[in-house]
Amino acid sequence: MATQIPVHAAERLKGLRSSVHSTGVFTSDFSVNEFLLVRKAGFEPIGLCVGTCVYHVGIQYGSWSKNQELDVLSKAMYHARELAMSRMRAEATAMQADGIVGVKLTIKRLEWDAHLLEFIAIGTGVVHAEGHKGFRAHDGGPFTSDLSGQDFWSLLHSGYRPVEMVMGSCVYHVAHRGMLSGLGSVARNVELENFTSAMYEAREIAIERMQYEAANAKAEGVVGVEIHEGSHGWQTHVIEFFAIGTAVLPLIQEIAPEAIEDPIMVLSVND
Amino acid sequence: MGLFDFLKGPSPEELARRAAHDARIADIQKCLKSGDVPGSIKTRLEAVRNGTLPWVATLTPAELSIVRSHGLRPIAAVSATCWLHYGWSWTEGHAQGWEQALRRLREEARVAGANAVLDVKMRTIALGVANSMDFTLVGTAVYVEGLPPSNDPIVATVPALEFVKLLEADVVPTGIAIGAHYEWLGLWPGNTQGRWMGNVEWRDLSQLWELVRQQAHQNLRSHARAQGNGVLAHLNFSQLIDGGEQNGRKQFLARHIVVATTVDARRNATFPHNIKIVVDTHAGGTPLTGTKRHHQSYASNEAEGAI
Repeated sequence: MATQIPVHAAERLKGLRSSVHSTGVFTSDFSVNEFLLVRKAGFEPIGLCVGTCVYHVGIQYGSWSKNQELDVLSKAMYHARELAMSRMRAEATAMQADGIVGVKLTIKRLEWDAHLLEFIAIGTGVVHAEGHKGFRAHDGGPFTSDLSGQDFWSLLHSGYRPVEMVMGSCVYHVAHRGMLSGLGSVARNVELENFTSAMYEAREIAIERMQYEAANAKAEGVVGVEIHEGSHGWQTHVIEFFAIGTAVLPLIQEIAPEAIEDPIMVLSVND
Repeated sequence: MGLFDFLKGPSPEELARRAAHDARIADIQKCLKSGDVPGSIKTRLEAVRNGTLPWVATLTPAELSIVRSHGLRPIAAVSATCWLHYGWSWTEGHAQGWEQALRRLREEARVAGANAVLDVKMRTIALGVANSMDFTLVGTAVYVEGLPPSNDPIVATVPALEFVKLLEADVVPTGIAIGAHYEWLGLWPGNTQGRWMGNVEWRDLSQLWELVRQQAHQNLRSHARAQGNGVLAHLNFSQLIDGGEQNGRKQFLARHIVVATTVDARRNATFPHNIKIVVDTHAGGTPLTGTKRHHQSYASNEAEGAI
């Protein structure tokens, strides 16, 4: 026997019901799987939330032969992202969302001016279907998370809830070849300790800042962390180290901490 | 801000910041030399270990759930870098660079009180500094509930899902083994172009490749032996370079690098689970049908295996 189509869906198919939802239209950038899983997790999407910030990034040059953080640029990259995210979050607050899932944070360079960067944050605002307010962030506003709908469901089913997207940035100038002079003739493989230590310092600053944000959000941990390096049209030896992830808290009162089933492992035979 | 601020000299805050930077760089260099974990990283890792700072994991939520259901708990993201200048040999430098980074990663994991590092990615930052390369490893240190911290944490270059799959099958991924070898070949001009225009094997180059690849795999085996009883090779990189002419002879350089995950596997043990046929409704890439590349250090011509 074929599976029954739910009554609601069947009515719509028969043309008996208006396509416009009685409570208004929701918008989202969910895929089918994401949509179904977010709803399975007990949430309803209500609207896309967007935050934009066009930022003029100041000028700062590192001295040619020196490792150093370019703090003017670090602050710019951080501040601009923060502005875009807080505007997105303000939109979500206005539509009384409990959280934003699937946040995508992108940076675009504007063609006509090398110092102008456009920061965009976009995600789908969701509410708990039964009106539970316990999922909100520590400040009572909506939680933010860059996890997809699938990841959101998985996170709740591993016993955690998202609190806040946390990040740390460090724009760093790596010294030039000057220090290599004299190495050219050395017929050995030697470590360039200056370069190594520059990487260590820059990455550590970025991670420390992210972790500090997570501690401020009173999180237990941070999942889905990515540590990457990027250049946004700066000189060749200037790199941004950027750490980003979703700070999480264990589910205690928000939903009954039902015994969460162990996941089933699958081995693919058709790789 | 005044127009002539630059004449005033740095502010006290700026001076303090510079002093902190200098002290940190000096500490990093001293610690890397002596094989220790730099002070600021050590402080952070110890704070996570004591629970005064949040844990940090590069794992996805699905990975987090499978890892937790197997009694593993994340501690912190750990990383290691070695920037190496090739004064002697590019090819062998790759073995040296990764090995050094691996040692440092293990040390960070040990300080964090870990039993293992999962999801280790091999990375290279493209700064384009001639004759040198950056060897970077980034992963998540975890501990196993009920086990004491390890003095020699294992390093797994596989994503957390695959790590758990291997554990269930009584296979432990333990580290990274590298096999690298190169040879030069000089040929007299008469040898380099067959005068015969028909189909014929170019024996000299075939033999060169045989030699280079065999030696690289030999090196892989001896490097792996110290870490486990097998390898899953995930990356093969080879290049044949026309080295121009020297003393009337045409020069060729052949190099081969194999990078592999070493495993410690109980022999003759099969996977304990039953096999079920399922339909995967996921669109595009899914953890069922393969995982993301775990390295970006060798962009060209590699043939990749399952890991």
